Amino acid sequence: MKNLNQLLRQPLQPVPLSLAIFVLALALIGFADATYLTVEHYRNVIPPCSVVSGCEQVLTSAYSTIAGLPVSLIGAIYYFSVLLGAAAYLESRKTFFLKWALLLSILGFLASLWFVYLQVFVIHSLCAYCLGSAVTSTVLGVTALVVFSKKGRSQQLNDEAD
Amino acid sequence: MKRAVFWSGFVIILALIVWGMIVALNKPVKPIVPKLGTPAPVTAADHVSTASDTPVTLVEYSDFQCPACESYYPLVTRLLSEASTTVRLVYRHFPLNDIRPDGTVLHPNALAAAEASEAAAKQGKFWEMYNLLFDKHPEWTELPDPRPVFEKYAADLGLDAARFKADIDAVETKNLVLSEKQEGSSLGINATPTFFVNDKAIANPQSYEEFKSIIETAASTSTP
Repeated sequence: MKNLNQLLRQPLQPVPLSLAIFVLALALIGFADATYLTVEHYRNVIPPCSVVSGCEQVLTSAYSTIAGLPVSLIGAIYYFSVLLGAAAYLESRKTFFLKWALLLSILGFLASLWFVYLQVFVIHSLCAYCLGSAVTSTVLGVTALVVFSKKGRSQQLNDEAD
Repeated sequence: MKRAVFWSGFVIILALIVWGMIVALNKPVKPIVPKLGTPAPVTAADHVSTASDTPVTLVEYSDFQCPACESYYPLVTRLLSEASTTVRLVYRHFPLNDIRPDGTVLHPNALAAAEASEAAAKQGKFWEMYNLLFDKHPEWTELPDPRPVFEKYAADLGLDAARFKADIDAVETKNLVLSEKQEGSSLGINATPTFFVNDKAIANPQSYEEFKSIIETAASTSTP
């Protein structure tokens, strides 16, 4: 709990510019992917249920919306927020923006784990673009964890030096 | 100035992505009409939505548990009410109770639902049960045992409970459902719903308007 508090309060150590660009690029891919799925959702195309390929029901299942909003739209908003954070950091060099983008990425990563679980064990059907989004959010989440753990370690060293 | 350029670029790129997706996905795709055989002629044993003669006969091979069939249900219902003198629906069972490679069943409650509709049909309430099964889809599709729900529907419809249960369990009911599926399979059907308009397979329409126009075209070209 103390660590979480520390994480939320303390500013991020300066990170290499390339890392912010990496986060921006990943969020851009994720955004494009989630936008595609959102447009697909609102097109209202009804894929048939097939003996061979199942129902392709990931995009039409009861799990595809949360409170009436398609999960893909929530995903697009999430990627947009990460994009905005990374871009704001690149433009202003204020680590505050990147820190929140990375914190959000961890949430996105956890959400992705849940959705992959649903596809594999509950809906029994996979959707390529949904898995694509799971990959981008996993890489984003892992990147965030690495950045924070490095920060934690350097913080520890600083504390010890004090 | 630099800041304005940066954020303008940012907004333009994102707007381009969204616009590109919308344009790409809204391109009309030429529908692929499945190459299927001719369905068996409509007989007295079939479930037909209306007794009156209509220029168009819509035969649907369907699975009560299939989400796509559920999505088409309101479209078909609207079609039948708005064009009741033009089109009649013939409902045939095609339960996707097939086993997936991982050993699970695709639609484990589909066969039971089809049997429930046939048991209701024995008491003259097929279409009432058909409506209930689709209207209350989320209530029973994911249940490990949907049978009590079907029995409740039967009670709601005022059916004789003992007779309903006996008819669901009857081997003939199961055989009837499976024979319709067998007939569908012999035509080459492997997905639900599959529609035939005056014996010709159609590509599943993507909107009510498209569906209606297919029916109207068939009505105008059908020979009396």
